[in-house]
Amino acid sequence: MSSNNSSGLRLNLALAALIIALAVVSLMVGPAALSPRQALAGLFDGEGPAGIVVRDIRLPRTLLALLIGATFGLSGAALQGLLRNPLAEPALFGAPQAAAVGASFMIAYGLAGATSFAVPLAGIAGALLSIGGIVAIAGRRASLTVTLLAGLALASFAGAMTALILNLAPTPYAALEIAFWLLGSLEDRSVDHLLIAAPFLLASWLLLGLNAPAFRALTLGEDAAASLGVDIVRTRLMVVVGVAFGVGAAVAVAGSISFIGLIAPHLVRRAVGSDPARVCLPAALTGAVLLTAADIAVRLVPANPNATAIELKLGVVTALIGVPFFIAMIFRERRLLDGAAS
Amino acid sequence: MNDAAPKLRAVGVTVRLGGAPVVDEAALDLRSGELVVLVGPNGAGKTTLVRALAGLLPAEGRVEIDGRPLSSLSARERARQIAYLPQGHIFHWPMPVAAVVALGRHAHADAFSSLSDADRAAVGRALSATATETFATRSVTTLSGGERARVALARALATEAAVLLADEPTVSLDPRHQLVVMGLLRDAARAGGAVLAVVHDLALAARFADRVAVMERGRIIVDAAPIEALSAARIAAAFGVEAVMVDTGDGPIPIARRPI
Repeated sequence: MSSNNSSGLRLNLALAALIIALAVVSLMVGPAALSPRQALAGLFDGEGPAGIVVRDIRLPRTLLALLIGATFGLSGAALQGLLRNPLAEPALFGAPQAAAVGASFMIAYGLAGATSFAVPLAGIAGALLSIGGIVAIAGRRASLTVTLLAGLALASFAGAMTALILNLAPTPYAALEIAFWLLGSLEDRSVDHLLIAAPFLLASWLLLGLNAPAFRALTLGEDAAASLGVDIVRTRLMVVVGVAFGVGAAVAVAGSISFIGLIAPHLVRRAVGSDPARVCLPAALTGAVLLTAADIAVRLVPANPNATAIELKLGVVTALIGVPFFIAMIFRERRLLDGAAS
Repeated sequence: MNDAAPKLRAVGVTVRLGGAPVVDEAALDLRSGELVVLVGPNGAGKTTLVRALAGLLPAEGRVEIDGRPLSSLSARERARQIAYLPQGHIFHWPMPVAAVVALGRHAHADAFSSLSDADRAAVGRALSATATETFATRSVTTLSGGERARVALARALATEAAVLLADEPTVSLDPRHQLVVMGLLRDAARAGGAVLAVVHDLALAARFADRVAVMERGRIIVDAAPIEALSAARIAAAFGVEAVMVDTGDGPIPIARRPI
């Protein structure tokens, strides 16, 4: 077990170093490319054009990428731990879909531009409503199956609501804006977005992180975990609410970004083992690395050489990388799922 | 068997699942040093009773540990008093055996710090009692059924609780492992534990139990020494099976011959 401990520590340190390096690169990359020296000078003294570009434009974007990526990574690890299932991810509970409904509504009815306050607030409200809905449908002592079915129902309903909002959008421009927003992006996000999302993201880390020991006990199943002193109902509630806070705020600020929650825990299991408590921290760090790297990539790869300043959307990149990974994983787990092995 | 105050006492325990009582006014005492085997036909309510005794199900009636109502204990206190080994030996993640056994210490340690020396010592005793230390670093999902059963039992033993409740610990094991597991449960009782095991094999029950409780339709209908509780007449009444008694030298052992 001690060798596992030290390999976990090494991995976490390496990921932290990678995060710092990617954060610096993220401050450098954009329409006005900066050298590392210029970027750091702009960050610390804030003077001149470099200071404005780095502090007002790229720093909020970088911090959001790190915080949101970490939230998705941790949410995925927590849900996989809670459900004892490596295929679990936040979208199972409908939180991102419901957040998308709230934000789309705001954009469609011109109550706000795509980049103002009201959108994230509506997104968070949507995610909280979806959780309220799950608790109402499934009841407080609900089984996992009932909770998952409730999540599936709400996710489908939220998808239909988003489609309805697109359908009834007052102007084609609003529909286009929603469609682009749904693809996920951190372009033009400001310090205000960061300040709105951060409290919810941090609250979600706390709610999820506190349950890490319970995830480890749950490897024995719910009955045995309960007999070890784990309050299963409270754990389930804290995780579902934590995921709603984190993913709701993340989706509200950045649009739909998928698959990081699914991938991050898998990437770290090879190094730290399958202990679901040990997976949480490196999965969060890996989520931060993945999303920051993806956000750098969208700035480096022009979406269309003929269009000016339109970036490839973040959600498109994470899904393009995530889906093949997901299929490969199902392929690998297939024998286990069929019960042929072991 | 002895007159000491029971470690665990259950009186009038009733559990309703969807209206009808699955456990109906069941009463059972477990004393330290004793291995009690609970037998009964499928659907008699054995698992439900064991889960109620473990405090995992809301139940009417009284369940007491050392005279204190189980419901007055916090979940962690209860977990230190009662070890529960559910059916099936479930391990969802491929964790190393030693880490799984260490879960038995969950309610003892601060969950966020590493194991104390006392916790490590308890894990070591559980590994050595079950002869699982030779594969302590292997992943549980690579083990055979018999090895998994021993690891699951080691996890429960590592709790070092005064009461051990084991639900069908010998199911799907080969004959040798059935004997090994029953021997380990008897050792746990000899070491001072109050042990209850649900077992389907009447011969195993007769050989290892200090007392046998027979459950039928939610009630404990007999609670006595094996020779009395597992007589041919009782077996016929409770299980609808004709049994013959075979003396193996360790006392008479019932062998089920044919359904009545």
